[in-house]
Amino acid sequence: MIKFIGANKSFNNRLVLKNINLEIAKGEVIVICGPSGAGKSTLLRTINKLEPIDDGEIIVDGMYLSDPKTDLTALRAEIGMVFQHFNLYPHKTAIKNITLAPRKVRGLSRKEATERAEKLLEKVGLLHRRDAYPVQLSGGEQQRVAIARSLAMEPKIMLFDEPTSALDPELINEVLDVMVSLAKEGMTMVVVTHEIGFAQKVADRVVFMDNGEILEIGAPPDIFVNPRHPRTKEFMSSVFHIPVFNVNQEEDQDF
Amino acid sequence: MDLLEQFSNIKFYLLGSYPQGEIGGLLLNIILALLTICLSFWFGVLLGYSRLSCRLYIKLPCMAYIEIVRATPLIMIIFWVYFFLPYIAGTNITVFWSAVASLCIYAAAYQAEIVRAGIIAVPKGQLEAALSTGMSRYRAMRHVILPQAFRIMVPSFLSFFVSLFKDTSTVFIIGVIELTQAGIIISQREPNKMYAAYVCMGIGFWIVSFSISQLARRLEKRIGIFDLESYRPDACRDEFMLLPKKKIAGEETPPDISCRSADSR
Repeated sequence: MIKFIGANKSFNNRLVLKNINLEIAKGEVIVICGPSGAGKSTLLRTINKLEPIDDGEIIVDGMYLSDPKTDLTALRAEIGMVFQHFNLYPHKTAIKNITLAPRKVRGLSRKEATERAEKLLEKVGLLHRRDAYPVQLSGGEQQRVAIARSLAMEPKIMLFDEPTSALDPELINEVLDVMVSLAKEGMTMVVVTHEIGFAQKVADRVVFMDNGEILEIGAPPDIFVNPRHPRTKEFMSSVFHIPVFNVNQEEDQDF
Repeated sequence: MDLLEQFSNIKFYLLGSYPQGEIGGLLLNIILALLTICLSFWFGVLLGYSRLSCRLYIKLPCMAYIEIVRATPLIMIIFWVYFFLPYIAGTNITVFWSAVASLCIYAAAYQAEIVRAGIIAVPKGQLEAALSTGMSRYRAMRHVILPQAFRIMVPSFLSFFVSLFKDTSTVFIIGVIELTQAGIIISQREPNKMYAAYVCMGIGFWIVSFSISQLARRLEKRIGIFDLESYRPDACRDEFMLLPKKKIAGEETPPDISCRSADSR
């Protein structure tokens, strides 16, 4: 579904992505973790070409991203993206936030788009808030609307860029619940997150990055409990404060 | 009685040339300001948007235009248009259209800067969110960025409109009989009513300008829904500097006006 072949990218002569090789299968849930500045978000944003790469190749659903003929709007319509700061449109109500893209890009009628949006709002448990403006919603509610907004395009891939980092600890779970149910439905997901509990529950593979490089890829227990690379070991021990291996308490992660 | 006598010419300030004639006075000021704002707005949006272009051959001419016009007194522009435009166009233009043209040239440059600031003020994430749902840049601009930019622009836009309205008085210099010119004519024809003439001019401008700024305040309040936290039109200095509230003797603590809009959501 997504394939990175030797992707490199630099900002101001500093390599932020170094020789990325990664293949993500359909229906797979990938969690990317690592210290800040490791290039996790950049990696995620190259998938829908919000950030172009300098060389190498990324193939998403058969489309070659370095090919200038690739229709970016068609590509991005197939890829949903959820941001750390929600980025809801503040001048539109929740339901209008969701219906905008389906109507303008997919050409749905107002009625069809509204029906679809209501279904999605129900799915994220916010149907009663359909006419609220983003400022009237809590962080968790905003993020759930943002997820519904991405799902309204019926994407094949969902990208999550630290979806819970800007939320109060008490609101994190409501967002994670939506993501877990999405993963169970078989959505292909790439998630940048620090939520180790979430990663353990739903991730098929975990990618550990530092300094723009992928240091380790493996199943969640391999990365979290038995990391091989010394940098991964160091990172995990600081994440869990002490080298603890049994992680069930999500509240315990403090960044 | 004497006072009433002084103000007996009032209708000429409002409507027309003394003692009778075509439309003039305060009404002409309003017409000039409205016509200018309607015509120059689109020009300003185009100019401000092009000013943001990365292509130098689009950006530089716009920058040059904006910088030249903004660094020139309005009265110069009025003279340039008045003397050069008939020469360039090859026909005579009435003073009214000459005035509209010069005000438009002047207003477009200022509006371009307002538009540019408005577009830049929309957070970058908005465009990213719109693009990531598959919208083209044009659609994202039209449905996501510009609606928000226009809301951000409203306060500066309205305050510019007030100052533009006041600036319409400058066109009296080329003989447009708007409020200033009407007042001058009346004060010259009937020197015994000179004081009334200048008082009337002042009051005329004040009433309209004040009404527009009051309208602007209300509109701003309605638009404030997007940023209730930082919208504090009635904040006084003590609040701003985070000083402790002073208690006024013999009075209960007054309701916190500045936070009212924030609480009412």
